[in-house]
Amino acid sequence: MPTILLIFLPLVPMMASVPGYLLAKKSKSAAYAVLISICLAATLLSGFLFLRALNYRFLTQESPGICALGLSLRADGFRSLYLFVASFMWLMTSLFTPEYLAHGHRHGRYIFFTLFTFGATLGVFLSDDLITAFVFFEIMSFTSYPWVAHEENPAAMRAAATYLAIAILGGMAMLMGLMMLRPMLGTLSFERLLSAAQEMPDKGQLYVPSLLILAGFGAKAGMFPLHVWLPKAHPVAPAPASALLSGILTKVGVFGILVISCRVLLHDAAWGNLLLILGLITMFAGAFLALLSVDLKRTLACSSMSQIGFILVGIGMQGLLGEHNALAAQGTILHMLNHSLIKLTLFMAAGAVYIGVHKLDLNEIRGYGRKKPFLHLCFLIGAASISGIPLFSGYVSKTLLHESIVEYVVHLQHLGENAFWYQTAEWVFVITGGMTFAYMLKLYFALFWEKNNRRQTDMDSLCRYLKPLSRFALGGAALVLFILGIRPQLSMTPLANAALPFMNAHAPEHAVDYFSAVNLLGTGKSLLIGLLLYLTLVRLWLVQKQADGKSHYVDRKPIWLDLEDSVYRPLLHLVVAIGGAFATLCHRLPEFDPLRHMVVIPAKGVAVLLNGLPDLLFFGMRYLGKLFARVFSGLLDCIAALMGRTVFAPPKPQQPVPIGNRFTYTLGRIFNFLAGIFKRMRRHSQPVVRKYTYLFAALWEEIKTNFNKVSQSLSFSLMLFSIGLLITLVYLMAR
Amino acid sequence: MLIFAVLFPMAAGALFPLFRFKEDKSRGLYVMAVVLITSAVALPQIILGTAAREILFQITETLPIAFRLDGVGRIFAGIVAVLWPLSSLYALEYMQHEKNLDAFFSFYTICFGVTLGIACASNLMTLYLFYELMTLITLPLVMHGGSQRSVRAGLKYLYYSIGGAALAFIGLVYVIYYGGTTEFAYGGVSVFTAGQTEHNMRIGYLICFFGFGVKAAVFPLHDWLPDASVAPTPVTALLHAVAVVKSGVFAIIRITWFTFAPALLAGTFAQYIPLALCVFTIVYGCTMALKEQNLKRRLAYSTVSNLSYILFGALLMTSQGLRGGLMHMVYHAVMKITLFLCAGVYLQKGVEYVQDMRGLHRAMPVATAVFALGSLAMTGIPPLLGFGSKWALAEAAVFEGGLLPVAGIVALVISATLTAFYLIIPSVSTYVSRGVKAYAPGELSSGWKALSPLLIISLVMMFFSFWPMLLTDFITYAAAGGL
Repeated sequence: MPTILLIFLPLVPMMASVPGYLLAKKSKSAAYAVLISICLAATLLSGFLFLRALNYRFLTQESPGICALGLSLRADGFRSLYLFVASFMWLMTSLFTPEYLAHGHRHGRYIFFTLFTFGATLGVFLSDDLITAFVFFEIMSFTSYPWVAHEENPAAMRAAATYLAIAILGGMAMLMGLMMLRPMLGTLSFERLLSAAQEMPDKGQLYVPSLLILAGFGAKAGMFPLHVWLPKAHPVAPAPASALLSGILTKVGVFGILVISCRVLLHDAAWGNLLLILGLITMFAGAFLALLSVDLKRTLACSSMSQIGFILVGIGMQGLLGEHNALAAQGTILHMLNHSLIKLTLFMAAGAVYIGVHKLDLNEIRGYGRKKPFLHLCFLIGAASISGIPLFSGYVSKTLLHESIVEYVVHLQHLGENAFWYQTAEWVFVITGGMTFAYMLKLYFALFWEKNNRRQTDMDSLCRYLKPLSRFALGGAALVLFILGIRPQLSMTPLANAALPFMNAHAPEHAVDYFSAVNLLGTGKSLLIGLLLYLTLVRLWLVQKQADGKSHYVDRKPIWLDLEDSVYRPLLHLVVAIGGAFATLCHRLPEFDPLRHMVVIPAKGVAVLLNGLPDLLFFGMRYLGKLFARVFSGLLDCIAALMGRTVFAPPKPQQPVPIGNRFTYTLGRIFNFLAGIFKRMRRHSQPVVRKYTYLFAALWEEIKTNFNKVSQSLSFSLMLFSIGLLITLVYLMAR
Repeated sequence: MLIFAVLFPMAAGALFPLFRFKEDKSRGLYVMAVVLITSAVALPQIILGTAAREILFQITETLPIAFRLDGVGRIFAGIVAVLWPLSSLYALEYMQHEKNLDAFFSFYTICFGVTLGIACASNLMTLYLFYELMTLITLPLVMHGGSQRSVRAGLKYLYYSIGGAALAFIGLVYVIYYGGTTEFAYGGVSVFTAGQTEHNMRIGYLICFFGFGVKAAVFPLHDWLPDASVAPTPVTALLHAVAVVKSGVFAIIRITWFTFAPALLAGTFAQYIPLALCVFTIVYGCTMALKEQNLKRRLAYSTVSNLSYILFGALLMTSQGLRGGLMHMVYHAVMKITLFLCAGVYLQKGVEYVQDMRGLHRAMPVATAVFALGSLAMTGIPPLLGFGSKWALAEAAVFEGGLLPVAGIVALVISATLTAFYLIIPSVSTYVSRGVKAYAPGELSSGWKALSPLLIISLVMMFFSFWPMLLTDFITYAAAGGL
């Protein structure tokens, strides 16, 4: 088995993107054929790799020296499973795209970036060290941007800008983390990370780089508090792209988090607690946002965020449970898998709705699914699965995750420790499960049972609403999901077990009975809460009667809940403002000439003052007595003169004079006034009128001119200096 | 042969007034012939390496003007010899409607020889001579536009450079007085490391650093560079992104590693002060670039920041750091010249400010694509070029440890983030935003002479992104003192 196949897997889609782009200008269908055939080939190849991996025959390839720091790739159980899932999803969405984008624009660009992102995503899942993962991860971040911006309307552009900003910042945080981690551990290869980390004398040092890397991957996964881009970017992308963004690109983030949690900080309780808390917040916040949303794709996007929270809880529990984390590990991997397939089905179903109505608002699309059994069935499978209804696949993974929390609670109680917080966590888990059920019920009833207020007859008459190719894609995805769920012991358990070694976990000693009474009861609790939530929150609060007597979904999402608008953007503006002020300050600094600004100009000022001082003293000494006499005798004259000068003074004709500033003007006025007084006391043969305001203004202008000439005069002195030095050289040489 | 490579373009450029070209075409042929012959002579020696030391003449018995290529010199000479013909071709298209072309190309060609002279200099005296010559030769190029702004920028450049040269001269006197020889030797001249003069030597080094730091645009001395971007784009692209500024950096590498010993400087104020300034400049340049709306000035500030990356690497005083610095010297030259050439293509069609770039990709598809690629590389998005050098620098800094190197890593990451914001966001806006004006497809496309250098350089960039080993191996060798 030639290992070169591994490098082909990411490289071929990337290289095929160029012919795909060029073909789209000539013939759209040919370009889509390229896209689909590449995806098909990748699916077959990765399926083959997965079959090999099931027999523990892994392919490894190291190619040092290419792409900056060398690439190393490996397809073991988990990675080849996810390669297969990714290829399958790309294949299905590619089959769905031609119809979805039939009336759209920029097919070439879409195909180009879809293929490029495909290659990069495969690259991340194949990578065998963090550098390789980072290289492909960054490519993926940037090439998926055009998906979000595809529609090019204001909402899409704004969401895309947020996406890009978070991608850049997350990538840089990760880079920083990698730069710190590599010298600490001496390696970034997945194989050697664990042993290197365990040999570290002080494990505390590992937290900072791990947190930075977590920020990078977590931003892509949609982890709280870096989730802000997700509920905005996923709905505005075309539906096939949303399916990939939700189903796979978030999993790339999870993949990275898994690497950190299972290779660098394996079985670390503090890290497990952190991920557990973040996971609980993410899943609750996501479910809450999904419950309040009245937009089909936005609900699904928020749901994605919530499900990522479930997965993070699983990873957290792996850390907490330590050696005995088989349930958590299985739950994590299976929930990843399920969520990928569920979101594939649901987003394509949403795409089918969009193809028919070109709207996503629940009020506009309600009733669209009536009399469309195929769409109904596919959506139902997805919805039941994500809600965790027994016999559907989501039930299995959620049960495993739930069990892992229960296991830890029991473990703590066994040790006699306080398990209150973990019991709370279990309740949050159960309630969030209920909320999942509630928002899926909301979508399901709105789409398939309620009647549209205006266009129900149009919708019912739409029989041929999907072309065969799209029908195949949607149906195929739903079918796979369905098959996985009915016999979990046969289908899901082996998949999970094949992936366990990646997480350094072992298969459980005895097989889990998914349909035991305890587990069914737990799920029943969750579903009951969901039903209650739907009946109260959705039916009574979200649905309101309109003036015309018809019911209507109302958007109740509080604005302050949007972290982006309430925190991140203001913060960014603040940072930009501070940075700008700082830069300006530094920029002005070189103009500061110590000699001139601190010696010459103050000296000039002092000289002017000193120059005037003897005059002042002279007048003072000589006329002090006269002054008193005059003042007291001619007080009235004085006041009259003062009035004449100030209040009743005629407006002066405008002259082209130096303007100066407020300070010189005030100073000048004071001097003018004093001089006026003196003038009245002294008899002049030829009265000299000195306008001090102008004098000061002129002085000010001169200072400003000098200020501008700073650099020139400084350099002039340096030039003289260098001439002197040249003479030194001549002297040296003569010697 | 080194002497020929240095003197031939200088002589051919100086002979320009004799020819009085009537037609653009014959002038173009002459320029291209001179430049290509020089590169053809220089490149074999650069690639294969030559140990020969060629003496032009002796000033005194101990002060020869001599040329010799070693590893570091080969890297710099290689950059110059590859990029010069390409940007000359670009200049022929770009400048065709300008006046005074004979003078322009005369100085442009002379400058090639001068830059090669700096790269091949065998001792500090030679380097200093050509360094001074470069100031004088490039001044008319900066002022070529003839407007008030360009004259002011030119004068500012002159004053800064002469001031810097004066300081560098003091350093030269220090070297002659204490060291006896100005000849370059890897690891510094051994005489310095012994005796009572250590403290004096460190002060001499600092003076020298600030002298050469003018052209390397270290923070308080950087102000001429953004102003000089009023020069015609072939000048900004080649001289203010590659030749002139890299000469400053190269000279600092020479004095740090080949004249004053790293062993003498490491761990003293003579290392910490320059290093701190570099770390500061890295962040400062990016912040200013983000603030700037004029595209060429923005790129110039970006150069300010990136030059300090190179110096940061060299000043870590480890061969790993020098390796990172040299890598960034090569990579930055390639990336920044790409961006500047694109900016020139934009400018010719009246796009001068960043906000004018919106929706431009329909009008000039090639230039915008190359610009986008260049900005991704500049930011350091893997696997493109910038990532490799930034990683190497950070790795060296982590290896070194200590406060300033770690601050340097933080500065690197901040600067990479800011680079993403000031370069990637505008280049994305050329694709997705709708500008004030709706362009027709290919409305503003340029001639082949302007576009082919762009494409060639971006292909080179892509090639070295995916197979950097060809370069990095040699750079590692050169940074360890190989010839």
